[in-house]
Amino acid sequence: MRETSGKIAIMIICVIVGIMLSVQYRTSESYGPNLRTTRVDDLASINSSLMKENQNLSEEIVELREKLTNVSSESQLNADLQAELKKSNIAAGVTAVTGPGIIVTLNDNPRALQPGDDPNAYLVHDSDILSIVNEIKASGAEAISVNDQRIIAMSEIRCAGTTILVNWNKIGPPFVIKAIGNQQLLESGLTIKGGKLDELNSFGLQTQLVRNNNIEIPAYSGSIKFQYTTPKQK
Amino acid sequence: MWWITLLCLALGLFIGYQLPIFLPASMVEYVSIGVLAALDSVFGGIRAFMEDAFDATIFITGFFTNSLLAAAFAYLGDKLGLELYLAAVVVFGVRLFQNMGIIRRYLLKKY
Repeated sequence: MRETSGKIAIMIICVIVGIMLSVQYRTSESYGPNLRTTRVDDLASINSSLMKENQNLSEEIVELREKLTNVSSESQLNADLQAELKKSNIAAGVTAVTGPGIIVTLNDNPRALQPGDDPNAYLVHDSDILSIVNEIKASGAEAISVNDQRIIAMSEIRCAGTTILVNWNKIGPPFVIKAIGNQQLLESGLTIKGGKLDELNSFGLQTQLVRNNNIEIPAYSGSIKFQYTTPKQK
Repeated sequence: MWWITLLCLALGLFIGYQLPIFLPASMVEYVSIGVLAALDSVFGGIRAFMEDAFDATIFITGFFTNSLLAAAFAYLGDKLGLELYLAAVVVFGVRLFQNMGIIRRYLLKKY
Protein backbone atom coordinates (compact mmCIF):
# COMPACT_ATOMS: atom_id res chain seq x y z
CA MET A 1 0.00 0.00 0.00
CA ARG A 2 2.74 2.40 0.97
CA GLU A 3 4.62 1.41 -2.13
CA THR A 4 1.68 2.18 -4.41
CA SER A 5 0.81 5.53 -2.90
CA GLY A 6 4.47 6.50 -3.04
CA LYS A 7 4.64 5.54 -6.68
CA ILE A 8 1.53 7.52 -7.50
CA ALA A 9 2.90 10.51 -5.62
CA ILE A 10 6.16 10.34 -7.53
CA MET A 11 4.28 10.01 -10.81
CA ILE A 12 2.11 13.03 -10.12
CA ILE A 13 5.08 15.07 -8.98
CA CYS A 14 7.01 14.07 -12.07
CA VAL A 15 4.19 15.27 -14.27
CA ILE A 16 4.11 18.58 -12.39
CA VAL A 17 7.89 18.98 -12.65
CA GLY A 18 7.67 18.28 -16.37
CA ILE A 19 4.99 20.93 -16.83
CA MET A 20 6.97 23.45 -14.79
CA LEU A 21 10.15 22.73 -16.71
CA SER A 22 8.65 23.10 -20.15
CA VAL A 23 6.59 26.20 -19.29
CA GLN A 24 9.66 27.78 -17.77
CA TYR A 25 11.73 26.82 -20.78
CA ARG A 26 9.24 28.24 -23.25
CA THR A 27 8.86 31.45 -21.26
CA SER A 28 12.55 32.19 -20.90
CA GLU A 29 13.00 31.27 -24.55
CA SER A 30 10.41 33.85 -25.57
CA TYR A 31 12.00 36.56 -23.41
CA GLY A 32 15.43 36.03 -24.87
CA PRO A 33 18.42 34.29 -23.37
CA ASN A 34 19.76 37.10 -21.20
CA LEU A 35 16.84 37.88 -18.97
CA ARG A 36 18.44 36.41 -15.88
CA THR A 37 21.83 37.94 -16.50
CA THR A 38 20.49 41.42 -17.20
CA ARG A 39 20.69 42.83 -13.73
CA VAL A 40 19.48 46.03 -12.18
CA ASP A 41 22.52 48.14 -13.10
CA ASP A 42 22.26 47.42 -16.80
CA LEU A 43 18.53 47.93 -16.76
CA ALA A 44 18.98 51.27 -14.99
CA SER A 45 21.46 52.54 -17.56
CA ILE A 46 19.22 51.39 -20.41
CA ASN A 47 16.33 53.09 -18.72
CA SER A 48 18.13 56.41 -18.29
CA SER A 49 19.33 56.48 -21.89
CA LEU A 50 15.84 55.70 -23.12
CA MET A 51 14.44 58.45 -20.93
CA LYS A 52 16.91 60.93 -22.40
CA GLU A 53 15.93 59.87 -25.90
CA ASN A 54 12.32 60.22 -24.95
CA GLN A 55 12.88 63.75 -23.73
CA ASN A 56 14.70 64.71 -26.94
CA LEU A 57 11.85 63.31 -28.96
CA SER A 58 9.24 65.20 -26.99
CA GLU A 59 11.19 68.41 -27.53
CA GLU A 60 11.17 67.63 -31.21
CA ILE A 61 7.42 67.15 -31.06
CA VAL A 62 6.99 70.62 -29.61
CA GLU A 63 9.19 72.08 -32.33
CA LEU A 64 7.33 70.28 -35.08
CA ARG A 65 3.97 71.36 -33.68
CA GLU A 66 5.15 74.96 -33.78
CA LYS A 67 6.12 74.51 -37.40
CA LEU A 68 2.76 72.93 -38.10
CA THR A 69 0.90 75.92 -36.72
CA ASN A 70 3.16 78.15 -38.80
CA VAL A 71 2.26 76.20 -41.89
CA SER A 72 -1.41 76.56 -41.19
CA SER A 73 -1.10 80.32 -41.05
CA GLU A 74 0.09 81.06 -44.55
CA SER A 75 1.81 84.38 -44.00
CA GLN A 76 4.04 82.79 -41.40
CA LEU A 77 4.75 79.99 -43.86
CA ASN A 78 5.89 82.51 -46.43
CA ALA A 79 8.12 84.21 -43.94
CA ASP A 80 9.60 80.87 -42.97
CA LEU A 81 10.27 80.01 -46.57
CA GLN A 82 11.83 83.41 -47.17
CA ALA A 83 14.14 82.98 -44.23
CA GLU A 84 15.04 79.50 -45.41
CA LEU A 85 15.72 80.81 -48.91
CA LYS A 86 17.91 83.59 -47.59
CA LYS A 87 19.96 81.11 -45.62
CA SER A 88 20.28 78.80 -48.60
CA ASN A 89 21.35 81.69 -50.83
CA ILE A 90 24.09 82.64 -48.44
CA ALA A 91 25.22 79.04 -48.19
CA ALA A 92 25.20 78.67 -51.97
CA GLY A 93 27.07 81.94 -52.42
CA VAL A 94 24.58 83.60 -54.76
CA THR A 95 24.06 86.70 -52.60
CA ALA A 96 26.61 89.30 -51.63
CA VAL A 97 27.33 89.21 -47.92
CA THR A 98 29.01 91.40 -45.36
CA GLY A 99 30.36 90.91 -41.87
CA PRO A 100 33.47 90.84 -39.69
CA GLY A 101 36.44 88.78 -40.80
CA ILE A 102 39.97 88.87 -42.09
CA ILE A 103 41.74 89.85 -45.29
CA VAL A 104 44.85 87.94 -46.32
CA THR A 105 47.01 89.42 -49.05
CA LEU A 106 49.67 87.34 -50.81
CA ASN A 107 52.23 88.66 -53.25
CA ASP A 108 55.23 87.30 -55.10
CA ASN A 109 58.73 87.80 -53.77
CA PRO A 110 59.80 91.35 -54.82
CA ARG A 111 63.47 90.48 -54.86
CA ALA A 112 65.04 90.39 -58.30
CA LEU A 113 65.71 86.87 -59.52
CA GLN A 114 69.36 85.93 -58.97
CA PRO A 115 71.16 83.66 -61.38
CA GLY A 116 70.75 80.04 -60.32
CA ASP A 117 67.57 80.71 -58.28
CA ASP A 118 64.49 78.64 -58.83
CA PRO A 119 61.83 81.05 -60.11
CA ASN A 120 59.12 78.81 -58.67
CA ALA A 121 60.23 79.73 -55.16
CA TYR A 122 59.49 83.38 -55.91
CA LEU A 123 55.85 82.91 -56.92
CA VAL A 124 52.54 82.38 -55.15
CA HIS A 125 51.12 79.08 -56.39
CA ASP A 126 47.58 77.80 -56.72
CA SER A 127 48.33 75.22 -54.03
CA ASP A 128 49.26 78.00 -51.59
CA ILE A 129 45.95 79.73 -52.12
CA LEU A 130 44.11 76.44 -52.00
CA SER A 131 45.60 75.44 -48.67
CA ILE A 132 44.96 78.88 -47.18
CA VAL A 133 41.32 78.68 -48.28
CA ASN A 134 41.13 75.20 -46.80
CA GLU A 135 42.60 76.42 -43.52
CA ILE A 136 40.10 79.26 -43.44
CA LYS A 137 37.25 76.83 -44.03
CA ALA A 138 38.50 74.64 -41.23
CA SER A 139 38.52 77.69 -38.96
CA GLY A 140 34.82 78.15 -39.51
CA ALA A 141 34.64 80.79 -42.24
CA GLU A 142 31.11 81.41 -43.47
CA ALA A 143 31.95 83.12 -46.77
CA ILE A 144 35.23 83.30 -48.71
CA SER A 145 36.40 85.13 -51.79
CA VAL A 146 39.68 85.18 -53.68
CA ASN A 147 40.27 88.38 -55.66
CA ASP A 148 36.53 89.02 -55.41
CA GLN A 149 35.69 85.62 -56.81
CA ARG A 150 33.26 84.01 -54.41
CA ILE A 151 34.29 80.50 -53.38
CA ILE A 152 31.27 78.21 -53.72
CA ALA A 153 30.88 74.45 -53.61
CA MET A 154 31.95 74.05 -57.23
CA SER A 155 34.75 76.62 -57.29
CA GLU A 156 38.14 75.51 -58.46
CA ILE A 157 41.52 77.04 -57.63
CA ARG A 158 44.03 75.84 -60.14
CA CYS A 159 47.12 76.75 -62.06
CA ALA A 160 46.71 77.62 -65.73
CA GLY A 161 50.05 78.50 -67.28
CA THR A 162 51.25 81.71 -65.71
CA THR A 163 47.97 82.61 -64.06
CA ILE A 164 45.60 81.07 -61.55
CA LEU A 165 41.99 80.23 -62.33
CA VAL A 166 39.20 80.75 -59.80
CA ASN A 167 35.65 80.19 -61.01
CA TRP A 168 37.16 80.03 -64.51
CA ASN A 169 38.40 83.62 -64.12
CA LYS A 170 42.09 84.40 -64.47
CA ILE A 171 43.48 86.15 -61.44
CA GLY A 172 46.97 87.43 -60.77
CA PRO A 173 48.98 88.80 -57.88
CA PRO A 174 48.39 90.36 -55.45
CA PHE A 175 45.97 87.73 -54.23
CA VAL A 176 43.40 89.07 -51.78
CA ILE A 177 41.58 86.40 -49.80
CA LYS A 178 38.64 87.64 -47.78
CA ALA A 179 36.79 85.57 -45.22
CA ILE A 180 33.86 86.27 -42.94
CA GLY A 181 33.84 84.45 -39.64
CA ASN A 182 35.25 84.49 -36.13
CA GLN A 183 38.27 86.79 -36.50
CA GLN A 184 40.17 85.25 -33.62
CA LEU A 185 39.76 81.73 -34.96
CA LEU A 186 40.53 82.65 -38.55
CA GLU A 187 43.67 84.54 -37.60
CA SER A 188 45.04 81.92 -35.27
CA GLY A 189 44.35 79.17 -37.81
CA LEU A 190 46.67 80.87 -40.29
CA THR A 191 49.30 82.40 -38.02
CA ILE A 192 49.87 79.31 -35.91
CA LYS A 193 53.60 78.49 -35.64
CA GLY A 194 54.60 76.30 -38.56
CA GLY A 195 51.33 77.17 -40.28
CA LYS A 196 50.76 78.19 -43.85
CA LEU A 197 51.70 81.87 -43.49
CA ASP A 198 54.92 80.92 -41.70
CA GLU A 199 55.78 78.63 -44.58
CA LEU A 200 55.11 81.28 -47.22
CA ASN A 201 57.11 83.89 -45.31
CA SER A 202 60.06 81.55 -45.17
CA PHE A 203 60.07 81.49 -48.96
CA GLY A 204 60.25 85.27 -48.96
CA LEU A 205 56.72 85.78 -50.27
CA GLN A 206 54.87 88.84 -49.06
CA THR A 207 51.96 88.04 -46.78
CA GLN A 208 49.70 90.37 -44.89
CA LEU A 209 46.82 89.55 -42.58
CA VAL A 210 44.44 92.25 -41.34
CA ARG A 211 41.21 92.13 -39.45
CA ASN A 212 38.28 94.04 -40.84
CA ASN A 213 34.91 94.48 -39.22
CA ASN A 214 33.10 95.23 -42.43
CA ILE A 215 34.19 92.85 -45.11
CA GLU A 216 32.11 92.69 -48.26
CA ILE A 217 32.12 89.53 -50.26
CA PRO A 218 30.41 89.59 -53.64
CA ALA A 219 27.99 87.02 -54.98
CA TYR A 220 29.04 84.22 -57.29
CA SER A 221 28.77 85.74 -60.76
CA GLY A 222 28.87 82.64 -62.91
CA SER A 223 25.91 80.60 -64.00
CA ILE A 224 24.82 77.54 -62.08
CA LYS A 225 23.61 74.74 -64.28
CA PHE A 226 22.94 71.19 -63.29
CA GLN A 227 23.33 68.79 -66.14
CA TYR A 228 23.61 65.53 -64.27
CA THR A 229 22.31 66.19 -60.80
CA THR A 230 18.67 65.97 -59.84
CA PRO A 231 17.19 66.09 -56.36
CA LYS A 232 16.59 62.67 -54.91
CA GLN A 233 12.92 61.76 -54.77
CA LYS A 234 11.84 60.95 -51.23
CA MET B 1 9.23 1.84 -11.78
CA TRP B 2 11.86 3.77 -13.66
CA TRP B 3 10.18 3.79 -16.98
CA ILE B 4 6.91 4.91 -15.35
CA THR B 5 8.73 7.87 -13.76
CA LEU B 6 10.37 8.83 -17.03
CA LEU B 7 7.08 8.40 -18.85
CA CYS B 8 5.36 10.74 -16.38
CA LEU B 9 8.14 13.29 -16.79
CA ALA B 10 7.82 13.10 -20.58
CA LEU B 11 4.05 13.41 -20.28
CA GLY B 12 4.49 16.51 -18.09
CA LEU B 13 6.94 18.05 -20.56
CA PHE B 14 4.53 17.40 -23.40
CA ILE B 15 1.54 18.90 -21.53
CA GLY B 16 3.60 21.94 -20.53
CA TYR B 17 4.69 22.40 -24.11
CA GLN B 18 1.11 22.35 -25.35
CA LEU B 19 -0.28 24.60 -22.62
CA PRO B 20 -0.86 28.17 -23.82
CA ILE B 21 0.57 29.55 -20.58
CA PHE B 22 3.26 32.20 -20.48
CA LEU B 23 4.76 33.42 -17.24
CA PRO B 24 5.00 37.20 -16.77
CA ALA B 25 8.56 38.46 -17.12
CA SER B 26 8.81 39.49 -13.47
CA MET B 27 7.94 35.94 -12.37
CA VAL B 28 10.46 34.03 -14.50
CA GLU B 29 13.29 34.51 -12.05
CA TYR B 30 11.35 33.16 -9.09
CA VAL B 31 9.77 30.28 -10.93
CA SER B 32 13.16 29.12 -12.17
CA ILE B 33 14.35 28.88 -8.56
CA GLY B 34 11.15 27.01 -7.76
CA VAL B 35 11.85 24.56 -10.58
CA LEU B 36 15.31 23.93 -9.20
CA ALA B 37 13.87 23.23 -5.75
CA ALA B 38 11.29 20.90 -7.30
CA LEU B 39 14.00 18.97 -9.13
CA ASP B 40 15.90 18.66 -5.88
CA SER B 41 12.80 17.27 -4.18
CA VAL B 42 12.29 14.72 -6.93
CA PHE B 43 15.84 13.44 -6.71
CA GLY B 44 15.57 13.43 -2.95
CA GLY B 45 12.40 11.37 -3.30
CA ILE B 46 14.06 8.88 -5.63
CA ARG B 47 16.95 8.54 -3.21
CA ALA B 48 14.59 7.98 -0.28
CA PHE B 49 12.73 5.41 -2.34
CA MET B 50 15.94 3.48 -2.89
CA GLU B 51 16.84 3.69 0.78
CA ASP B 52 13.35 2.34 1.60
CA ALA B 53 12.81 5.42 3.72
CA PHE B 54 10.27 6.92 1.37
CA ASP B 55 7.29 8.68 2.88
CA ALA B 56 4.69 10.06 0.50
CA THR B 57 3.58 12.81 2.90
CA ILE B 58 7.10 14.05 3.49
CA PHE B 59 7.80 13.87 -0.21
CA ILE B 60 4.75 15.84 -1.33
CA THR B 61 4.94 18.49 1.40
CA GLY B 62 8.69 18.79 0.82
CA PHE B 63 8.14 19.28 -2.87
CA PHE B 64 5.69 22.15 -2.49
CA THR B 65 7.25 23.89 0.51
CA ASN B 66 10.73 23.72 -1.01
CA SER B 67 9.56 25.22 -4.29
CA LEU B 68 7.50 27.97 -2.70
CA LEU B 69 10.15 28.74 -0.11
CA ALA B 70 12.86 29.02 -2.74
CA ALA B 71 10.71 31.33 -4.88
CA ALA B 72 9.83 33.42 -1.81
CA PHE B 73 13.51 33.57 -0.89
CA ALA B 74 14.44 34.91 -4.32
CA TYR B 75 11.61 37.44 -4.14
CA LEU B 76 12.68 38.59 -0.68
CA GLY B 77 16.27 38.94 -1.86
CA ASP B 78 15.14 41.11 -4.75
CA LYS B 79 13.17 43.34 -2.40
CA LEU B 80 16.13 43.69 -0.08
CA GLY B 81 18.61 44.30 -2.88
CA LEU B 82 20.42 41.11 -1.86
CA GLU B 83 21.12 38.32 -4.30
CA LEU B 84 19.56 35.75 -2.00
CA TYR B 85 18.56 33.56 -4.92
CA LEU B 86 22.23 32.60 -5.16
CA ALA B 87 21.90 30.92 -1.77
CA ALA B 88 18.99 28.84 -3.05
CA VAL B 89 20.86 27.99 -6.26
CA VAL B 90 23.95 26.87 -4.36
CA VAL B 91 22.09 24.85 -1.72
CA PHE B 92 19.80 23.08 -4.14
CA GLY B 93 22.55 22.59 -6.67
CA VAL B 94 24.83 20.94 -4.12
CA ARG B 95 22.01 18.75 -2.83
CA LEU B 96 21.07 17.76 -6.37
CA PHE B 97 24.57 16.50 -7.02
CA GLN B 98 24.75 14.71 -3.67
CA ASN B 99 21.45 12.94 -4.28
CA MET B 100 22.49 12.01 -7.78
CA GLY B 101 25.74 10.59 -6.44
CA ILE B 102 23.95 8.49 -3.85
CA ILE B 103 21.42 7.26 -6.42
CA ARG B 104 24.26 6.31 -8.74
CA ARG B 105 25.96 4.31 -6.00
CA TYR B 106 22.74 2.45 -5.21
CA LEU B 107 22.22 1.61 -8.84
CA LEU B 108 25.80 0.37 -9.16
CA LYS B 109 25.37 -1.81 -6.08
CA LYS B 110 22.08 -3.16 -7.35
CA TYR B 111 23.28 -4.17 -10.81
